[in-house]
Amino acid sequence: MRETGRRVLPSTRGVPNGRSFGMPRAKQLKKTCNNFKITILCGFVTILVLRGTIGVGNFGGGDAGEVSESVAKQNARVLEEIRHEPDDEEDQMQLKIDPNSTFVYSLGPKISDWDQQRETWLKENPQFPSSINGRSRILLVTGSPPSPCDNPVGDHYLLKSIKNKIDYCRLHGIEIVYNMAHLDKEMAGYWAKLPLIRRLMLSHPEVEWIWWMDSDAMFTDMVFELPLEKYKDYNFILHGWDKEIYGRKSWIGLNTGSFLLRNCQWSLDVLDAWAPMGPKGQIRDEAGRVLTAFFEGRPAFEADDQSALIYMFITQKKLWGDKVFLENSYYLHGFWVGVVDKYEEMVRNYHPGFGDDRWPFVTHFVGCKPCGSYADYPLERCLKSMERAFNFADNQILQIYGFRHQKLGSAKVKRTRNETALPLEVKDEFNIQHPSFTGQKSL
Amino acid sequence: MRFPEVFSGRRVRQVQKAFHNAKVTLLCLFVTVMVLRGTIGAGKFGTPGQDLAEIREHLIVGRRGEPHRVLTEAAINEGGGKAEAGGVVEEEEEPEEPEVERDPNGPLYSLGPKISDWDEQRSEWLKKNPGFPNFLPNGRPRILLVTGSAPKACENPVGDHLLLKSIKNKIDYCRLHGIEIFYNMAHLDSEMSGFWAKLPLIRKLMLSHPEVEFIWWMDSDAMFTDMAFEPPYERYKDHNFVMHGWEELVYNRKNWIGLNTGSFLLRNCQWSLDILDAWAPMGPKGKIRTEAGKLLTNYLTGRPEFEADDQSAIVYLLITQREKWGNKVYLESAYYLHGYWGILVDKYEEMIEKYHPGLGDHRWPLVTHFVGCKPCGKFGDYPVEQCLKQMERAYNFGDNQILQIYGFTHKNLSSRKVRQTRNQTDRPLEVKDELGLLHPPFKAVKLSSSE
Repeated sequence: MRETGRRVLPSTRGVPNGRSFGMPRAKQLKKTCNNFKITILCGFVTILVLRGTIGVGNFGGGDAGEVSESVAKQNARVLEEIRHEPDDEEDQMQLKIDPNSTFVYSLGPKISDWDQQRETWLKENPQFPSSINGRSRILLVTGSPPSPCDNPVGDHYLLKSIKNKIDYCRLHGIEIVYNMAHLDKEMAGYWAKLPLIRRLMLSHPEVEWIWWMDSDAMFTDMVFELPLEKYKDYNFILHGWDKEIYGRKSWIGLNTGSFLLRNCQWSLDVLDAWAPMGPKGQIRDEAGRVLTAFFEGRPAFEADDQSALIYMFITQKKLWGDKVFLENSYYLHGFWVGVVDKYEEMVRNYHPGFGDDRWPFVTHFVGCKPCGSYADYPLERCLKSMERAFNFADNQILQIYGFRHQKLGSAKVKRTRNETALPLEVKDEFNIQHPSFTGQKSL
Repeated sequence: MRFPEVFSGRRVRQVQKAFHNAKVTLLCLFVTVMVLRGTIGAGKFGTPGQDLAEIREHLIVGRRGEPHRVLTEAAINEGGGKAEAGGVVEEEEEPEEPEVERDPNGPLYSLGPKISDWDEQRSEWLKKNPGFPNFLPNGRPRILLVTGSAPKACENPVGDHLLLKSIKNKIDYCRLHGIEIFYNMAHLDSEMSGFWAKLPLIRKLMLSHPEVEFIWWMDSDAMFTDMAFEPPYERYKDHNFVMHGWEELVYNRKNWIGLNTGSFLLRNCQWSLDILDAWAPMGPKGKIRTEAGKLLTNYLTGRPEFEADDQSAIVYLLITQREKWGNKVYLESAYYLHGYWGILVDKYEEMIEKYHPGLGDHRWPLVTHFVGCKPCGKFGDYPVEQCLKQMERAYNFGDNQILQIYGFTHKNLSSRKVRQTRNQTDRPLEVKDELGLLHPPFKAVKLSSSE
């Protein structure tokens, strides 16, 4: 028998079994009804509460959360479309190259008289001289892929990196070409610089030097000027060491992340000799194996432009060696590890203008790859270091205007001097506000 | 039944009922509190939104979450610098200054100490520094293009990518036209935040670079879409402030979008310092800007309610002080110094069919400006998808004019892939690019006979 003690009105007596059956049943029904009502009420209240807290999808929910979610979805969809443009027929055909076929890759039709062509053009076009105010015209070339980075923070650092380059080049009268087009599908990835450099050389005879710089390299000495007179008898300047290349045969004995290449016939020839290991697919993979076998310590991966160049220099030293300058008296390329931790010390002990280990000209974040997904170093460490390098360099620009970053890890800036009604009497510390290297020589 | 028994039974039932009621009451109270949290928040008991955010943070693992965390750490890591591994001592911390809103009744905001003889200071300096003339050898004024964006990563993951494309676009135009670029990423003045940040920046650059004749401010969401067009600078020889707009809309109709401050030229001179000073007062964030916003909404036609923006403020200034400033302001509408994207982006293919670069106007706009898109933030005035797609198209439209110099073009305006338009040759210097942008006349350096 069910215990109905609690629910039964005190006045009710009677044993709930059998004898007065009608009464308890009505009461039971009533009870059941009550239960139902309470259940429904509770259910309703629960739903209300849930709506107010986490939203229940179709039943509606927090407005702001929903809108932001749909914006995020839209973004994601457009991003996907932008990133993964399908290959069309033309692309598909180009990707199949059989290394055994008679097809030989070429950067373009062979040119053998570029020096003469260039000289004639310069004579005919005096309004586009190859040197201005006694300084050779330099074109800084850099770039990044046309699609958004896999990691959005990668694009943020690409932006900071180009701002950094804009600042240095503005101070030093250097023009910039930022490439975002795949000019040659076969020479994809790090090999893309070869067809690009060749194309720019041939289009701009007024440019004396092409300065290739990776997107993950930043200027950290805004005052340092390239000692171009030192290179008057050379055509290819890279950071590296002769004994590392020719002696120890190290695959990292030089760095192709930041180099100068003179606009001349010799350079066109070097590019032609450099290119064959580049075409992607079987050729590049095979070449990669050759390079790994040749170089001690080189991991197994496809041929990269740096290893290929070193291989070329070693095996064809007589052809190229005398016009190649391996510079190590300043950081034309400066490997970031070990350098980024010393910035505060540098600020205390030295000043911009040295370009060497006291104040590195370029800090290059080799192996960080913030744009892609696979890096050799933890992402967090890379990002923090890149932020520091950027701010370290930015301070040298900001000091012109009387500001600096609060600290190297911070985007916030603070004043270093008050505003004045005689702004032209203020001299910036490093004299780069109106630097002698960009001023016009008096006429 | 014995009386005591009955009594205890009743009491038991009463007690039970009381418990029951108490339970129901507690349950209802609990439910009320939950609902209140969900609707209006309940102070330190937090809100469900906060709960969710906390839960999300705990759950986020993996690459996507990391950079976000690092960046927020970087942004908030102002106090307590830890020593880097290796024993490097962090620089001394400046105490965080509390953000104080300027009191509308207190001391007035100022961009800097008043300067009244800037024209003389500047002309003295130019005489002493002939190596930095304000007019280039080919007769054009020296221009500094100024733009910028916030120093932290965009909330929208594709925002930084678009900023990157936008600056590349500006680099290309400026390289062709001999214009220098200053990309700002520093908040020079915390009161003049957001769209007002350009005022202290422009003033600072003017005073630091007397060799610059014109500052060309350009928003980060504006792109060059005519690489061949050169603004007619001689037209402005008697003016100091050039904006895209219409006199009719500004002075007669008092329309808040009668001109646009997303792309304008400002001459480096005393007059400009004065107008910057007159423009600034509505800018300081907080009460001043909010109150000014209300004033502007009442005064200008069609302006929605929001805080004072630099554009409405300059419209207001020009209307109310026309005699003072009007004669040196040029409202240009003959070409798109600023071109509203909404009416332009669908026509690019038509333009390619019918016209050519160099026109700068509705046939081939100099600038396409993505007003209202806000690609860096989360919420703009237009659907995200439309903005992103059209920005890609505008970028490619401009980029095609650069690529054609080298014999390439985008496969179509929505594609990032390029194809060759002409074969390579062994006589590259005999190739003329269609638009003459390879060695354009505005890039030529005129040499004196002594060189």
